[in-house]
Amino acid sequence: MANYYIFIGGSAGSFQSIVKILNSLPETYNYPIFLSLHRLKHVRGGFVEALSIKSKLKVVEPEDKTVIMGGLVYLAPANYHMYIEVSNTIALSTEEPVNHSRPSIDLVFKSAAYVFEKKVIGILLSGANKDGAEGLLEIKNYGGTTIVQDPKEASVSVMPQSALDLFKPSYVMTVNQIIEFLNSIYI
Amino acid sequence: MLTAEQIKLFIRVLKYNSEYDFSDYAPKSFARRVEKLLEDLQIDFYELIDKIENGDPDFIQFVVNNITVNTTELFRDPKVWQAIRYRILPRLKDNEVINIWHPGCSSGQEVYSMMIILNEEGLLEKSNLYGTDINTEMLEIARKGEYSYRLNVEYLQNFDEVINKNPYDYQHVSNVPYSKYFEIDPINDIIRVKPFLREKAVFVKHNLVSLTNPFERQFDMILCRNVLIYFNRNLQSKVINLFYRNLKYPGYLVLGYHETILDAESMGFFKHGYYFAKKLK
Repeated sequence: MANYYIFIGGSAGSFQSIVKILNSLPETYNYPIFLSLHRLKHVRGGFVEALSIKSKLKVVEPEDKTVIMGGLVYLAPANYHMYIEVSNTIALSTEEPVNHSRPSIDLVFKSAAYVFEKKVIGILLSGANKDGAEGLLEIKNYGGTTIVQDPKEASVSVMPQSALDLFKPSYVMTVNQIIEFLNSIYI
Repeated sequence: MLTAEQIKLFIRVLKYNSEYDFSDYAPKSFARRVEKLLEDLQIDFYELIDKIENGDPDFIQFVVNNITVNTTELFRDPKVWQAIRYRILPRLKDNEVINIWHPGCSSGQEVYSMMIILNEEGLLEKSNLYGTDINTEMLEIARKGEYSYRLNVEYLQNFDEVINKNPYDYQHVSNVPYSKYFEIDPINDIIRVKPFLREKAVFVKHNLVSLTNPFERQFDMILCRNVLIYFNRNLQSKVINLFYRNLKYPGYLVLGYHETILDAESMGFFKHGYYFAKKLK
């Protein structure tokens, strides 16, 4: 069992930040990382490859009921919800979109909070809708760590601002500070 | 949010009062479905339990129809359909008949997608297609073959990918119009499958959890996409075994793009790219 499970949600304007974060983590980074990013339904291929170019960690789109392993980056497949099942596996679903989104950030955050409780680190980046805010609050309520990208830095501030309007997260950080934080918890 | 105990109670009461057993569904997604049902009905959890205990079969079917997930598309994941068309069908084309089962077919789009490629390959006439689902409302839509144009128009791109292009032979380009298979009425937001396809499809209610084959025949292909993701590992294995027993040899199983068979070889299958082929045990 890992000490931390890192969940990152992002939408419009978050791609470069994600790339930057992944590229800044060492190849020995041992915590599993989960990415739920809104993207075009029909753009199936290419995304994993794009994220992998400079990432030292392996990026995969998980299959249903995958057992979670440290040191991997799990990217929610396009047009599926990705969430954590009570058996600690990654599960997929084609349920209707939540907040017009599939994958839904709220859904993966809430399921992670429920299963991993205070071991969750939830990070919400740039985006143009309010998906993720409620899920991040759930992570807080279960004792996890919550980080919101500084809306002043985010290319599109709606998503981080929606979280800040809802509650006070553990940290409001720039992408560089998020990178520093993620490196600091890794021993 | 419902507690694990409430979900267990719900499953127990439903099982006691009906033919439905959801014990082996993936718990987290199942809980979300029940929560959504409560939201849609605007009733309290214990009111729902009371209503199920009253045992009205129509209400129970309503509950089942609403807790199952019905997402489906025409030619979802074109690459998979291209593999069916250019990799599987050539291996079945000399059969006297081709039997295909679509368990969990929902509103039927994949049954019709299959018919269209069979027709393009000249194999439709000797094929039998069977769609089954637990959701009676979706089966009604499947039988009608009538969908919202607005919600399906984007999938017509997939039609072109599968019907008019061939990734295994780039020189093979055709120009089959949508009108060969669909009546399209954008003003009334309708796309309707043509009668010669509708009349051929058989749609029957069937619960996969019963682990039975509702038809007195075996199949050359079983297409069951994004259904097993709602089951736990235990039930998934049992259903895979049901498919194994009811596939002929050679026989092919097509699952969802991100679904897999854990330890496929010991379950009797080889993975070939986008599909599984039955192996002789």
